Amino acid sequence: MGELRVERLRMHYPARRGSGHRTGLRVFDDITFTVGEGEFVSVIGASGCGKTTVLNLVAGLNAPSGGSIFVDGHAVTGPGLDRGIVFQEFALFPWLTVAGNIAFGLKSLRVPAKERSERVAQIVDLVGLKNFADYYPNQLSGGMRQRVGLGRALAINPSVLLMDEPFGALDAATREAMQNALAEIWIETRKTVLFITHDIREAVFLSDRVLVLSGRPSQIVLDLPIDLPRRRSRHDASFQEKEQILEFALGGCASQMGDAGEAAAKSDKQ
Amino acid sequence: MIESGKIAKPPADDDLALPAWRRLAKDTFYIVIPIAVVLVLWQLFAKLSGVPQALFPPLETIGRALVRTAEEGTLWSDVGGTFLRLFKAVVAGSLIGTVIGALMGYFRDWERAFILPLNFLLAIPGTALFPLTMIWFGLSEMAILSILIYEVTLTVMANTWTGVKSIDLSLIRAGRAFGADGASMFWRVLLPSAMPSIISGYRLAFSRAWRIVIIAEMMISVGSGLGYRLYWAREFFQTDVVYATLLTIGIVGLVFERLVLRTAEAMTVNRWGTVRQLE
Repeated sequence: MGELRVERLRMHYPARRGSGHRTGLRVFDDITFTVGEGEFVSVIGASGCGKTTVLNLVAGLNAPSGGSIFVDGHAVTGPGLDRGIVFQEFALFPWLTVAGNIAFGLKSLRVPAKERSERVAQIVDLVGLKNFADYYPNQLSGGMRQRVGLGRALAINPSVLLMDEPFGALDAATREAMQNALAEIWIETRKTVLFITHDIREAVFLSDRVLVLSGRPSQIVLDLPIDLPRRRSRHDASFQEKEQILEFALGGCASQMGDAGEAAAKSDKQ
Repeated sequence: MIESGKIAKPPADDDLALPAWRRLAKDTFYIVIPIAVVLVLWQLFAKLSGVPQALFPPLETIGRALVRTAEEGTLWSDVGGTFLRLFKAVVAGSLIGTVIGALMGYFRDWERAFILPLNFLLAIPGTALFPLTMIWFGLSEMAILSILIYEVTLTVMANTWTGVKSIDLSLIRAGRAFGADGASMFWRVLLPSAMPSIISGYRLAFSRAWRIVIIAEMMISVGSGLGYRLYWAREFFQTDVVYATLLTIGIVGLVFERLVLRTAEAMTVNRWGTVRQLE
C-alpha cells in the first residue's frame, strides 16, 4: 500500500481587490504524476513555481481548483492520517515533549496507551532521538527538531510521507547530516515519499525520480529517474551528471519568474 | 540506524557553574543586606527624628502589634478572608473570561459581538462600580465579590482572546494534518497554544484584583479582611496595627505572586517561549 496519483491538478487564485492578485493567478493548470508504492519522488522548482502548493493539496490542507488526488485509490478530500506530513517550519507542538509530539497522530487514531508507547519508543529510536524522548522542542537544535517532525509523521505509519522542504530551515552541515539520516531511514522503511525541495543535490541524493516544475502556469518539464545505487556518494561523476541535467532544466523556470511568482510563494504559506 | 551520539547535547545552564553554597551565599547577601539597611534607617528615624511614635512607631511596636493580632487570631482571619474573596473571584472570573475569550479568539462572530462591549467595559475601572454594587447588594460580601469578578473576567477575557488569536498558524495546520478537528482541535491545539497568554492574563488579573480587594474591604465593612483591618485600625487610631497590616499585605502579596503565579508562568511561557523565534 502507498500509491499516490495526482491527476490533472489545477490551482488558480481568483482575482481579488487588495490582495495583489488583480488578474488572478494561475499557479498550474494541469499537473499529473504518480508516485509508485515505495518510491521516493522529489519535486524541484524555483520558489514560486507552486511546488509547496502541490504538497498542500496532496496533504488536503488546501482545496484544488480542479483535478483529483488519490492515495491507494481513495480520493483526497481533506487532511487524513493516511498521509504523514513533515513541515518546513517544523510546526512541533511546543507544550509536548518529543514523545508527546510523536504520539500526537497515534492519539488521533485512538491507538491504546500501551501500544502507543511501544510505537513511540520504536520511532524515537528510528529517528535517532533515543535519549531525548522527554525533552521539549525548544531544548533541541534545528536538526533534532526536524527529526521529531519526521518521527511524528512516521509514527502513524502513513501510506505516503509528504515532506515540504523539510531541511530548508537548517544550516548546510546539518542539512547534509539530515539527508544522510533520511536516506538511511528510507532504506529501512521503504516509504512512499513525495519530497519538495529547491536543492538539486538533495533531490538527486534522496530520490528515485525527480520532477521539475517550471513555467507560469507551471508544468512538469522533466521527469528524471535517478537510477543510482543506494548509499550514494555526492561526488560520483554519475551523480554530478544528474545534477547538471536538473540544473539545466531549472534554468528555464528561473528566467520566467517575476513578481507573480513571489506572490504565489506567499500564498503557498497561507 | 542513526547514532544518537552525533547529536549535540543541549547547552548547560551557566548559573549552575557556581558551587551550590556560593550561589546560596550570594543570593542571601543580596536579599539580607538591603532589608537590614532599611530596618536600621527606620529605627534611627523613629527614635531620633522627634516624630511622635503614634505616627511613626519603632520596629518593636509594629512587631508587638503583629504578635498581638496573630495571638488574637484577627491576623489569620484577615488574611484568610481577603484570600477567600480573591480565590472565589479569580476562579469564577477566570472561568467565564477564559471561555468567552477563547470563543472570541476562535469564532469571528463571537469576536464581532463582544469586541465593543469588552473594550467599553475595560474603560470602566472596577472601582467605579462601587456605588452601583452598594445600591444593588448593600454593604455585603456580594458587593465586593461582584467587582472583583468583573475585573478578573475582563482581564482574563482580553488576554485569552489575544492569545487564541495570535496562535501560530503552522500549529493549526499541523494539528489538522495529524487528526485534530473541531473540539479536539480546541483542546489539543488551540488551548495549549494559547496557555502562555492565558496564564499571563491570570497573573495580571490577580494583581489587579489584589489591589481592588483591599480598597473594597475598606469601603464595605464585612467583618474581616486586610482592607477592613486597615480602615478600622485608623478609626481607632491604632497606628501600629496599620503598619503591621501594611507589612502583611506586602509580604503576602509578594510571596503569592512569586511562588504561585511566577511558577505557573515559568512552567508555560519560559518553556514554550523560544518556539516563536522560528516564525
